[in-house]
Amino acid sequence: MELLIQLCVQAVFAAIASLGFGMVFNVPKHTLKYCAFGGAITYNFRTIFLGLDFGIELATFLASAIIGVVALYWSRKYKVPRPVYTVASIIPVLPGTYAFNAMVTLISINRFGAKPELVELFIHDGLKSISILFAITFGLVLPSLYFLRLNRPVI
Amino acid sequence: MKNLSYEEQSIITRGIIKAAVLMSEYGAESILIEQTAQRLGRALGAASVELSLIPSAIVLTTLYGEQSVTTTRRVHHKPINMSIVCEIQNIVLKMEKNDHDINYLYDILKNLETKYYNRWLVVFMVGLACASFAFLQGGDYFAVATTFVAAFVAMFVRQELAKRRFVMIITFGITAFVATIIAAMAKIFAITSTPNIALAASVLLLAPGFAFVNSFLDSFKGYMMMGWGRWMDGMILTLASTVGIILAIAILGLGA
Repeated sequence: MELLIQLCVQAVFAAIASLGFGMVFNVPKHTLKYCAFGGAITYNFRTIFLGLDFGIELATFLASAIIGVVALYWSRKYKVPRPVYTVASIIPVLPGTYAFNAMVTLISINRFGAKPELVELFIHDGLKSISILFAITFGLVLPSLYFLRLNRPVI
Repeated sequence: MKNLSYEEQSIITRGIIKAAVLMSEYGAESILIEQTAQRLGRALGAASVELSLIPSAIVLTTLYGEQSVTTTRRVHHKPINMSIVCEIQNIVLKMEKNDHDINYLYDILKNLETKYYNRWLVVFMVGLACASFAFLQGGDYFAVATTFVAAFVAMFVRQELAKRRFVMIITFGITAFVATIIAAMAKIFAITSTPNIALAASVLLLAPGFAFVNSFLDSFKGYMMMGWGRWMDGMILTLASTVGIILAIAILGLGA
């Protein structure tokens, strides 16, 4: 029950985040609700996979693979290119805090010298943010590569 | 298939490359650009369309019988606008279905009007979006509130700079600077226990998501030049925002 409430709250906030970024990319009006829905799906699946103890990279990878497949279905149905849905949907799972901490640590290393604890922190945060970014992109690319083999337009 | 004279073929080629350039400028995936050009060519009666894509230009050839027409256009990258990409996609589908001629394509491309969202609505929603991101990352209420204000002002600044047609690099740098200065207030006045989340979330509106995702999609489908170009594009924009953040942190003397 607690998990359910947590999922609902997170879904709402993830949807708002995706909605805002959909507007920045100026997606057509009728696709906005799917962008919001996609953001909620992605974040919720990641939470579920994290709960199953998959590790954040694998959880992110699976979540973005799922949104890739869902976007494929939507893009066929509404005749809209896929990135319109997917890029806005993955915004809530971006490793923003990790990347920012890595950058701040890098500045500190530059200013105060390469102390072991700073270097350790930098490698940890940097590696996490890069692996999550790769997980997102690989997850998104996977479904479309499946259709590339058939050599015909997706929409 | 109808008979195409050389002049007609030139006109068709110009129409097709116009659509391809628009798609490339506003951030469509490479495979989508190629398929759009080829489908338009087939719908307009060319035997086949071949094109070569590099980040700064498009070279396109239409073939018909013994004739071939080649033309090149420069591509100037503009801020991402998915409405235009969708519009052109729809034109292609319509032309395939209803057998329109080239004048129809020219008409539509000339009168292509983008519907932008209301400016203040976008500013407000981006503020909310960044605040939601801060909440999801585990920030407390004051961090979320600070993020909202910072992202709100930063998006306003970004729109103002975009209106004055500055280079994207300058826009991103200044926007990141403004966002960090405002978000850093939470740290200076110690109103929140999670100031780093506020700082990170308030510059999220500058994440070049499309550049990186498109870069990977392109590289995986064999458009290596486009993939590298977009990757560099994203890196430069990230670097520009980083410079803005570093400058703001240095001025405020936060020392991280």
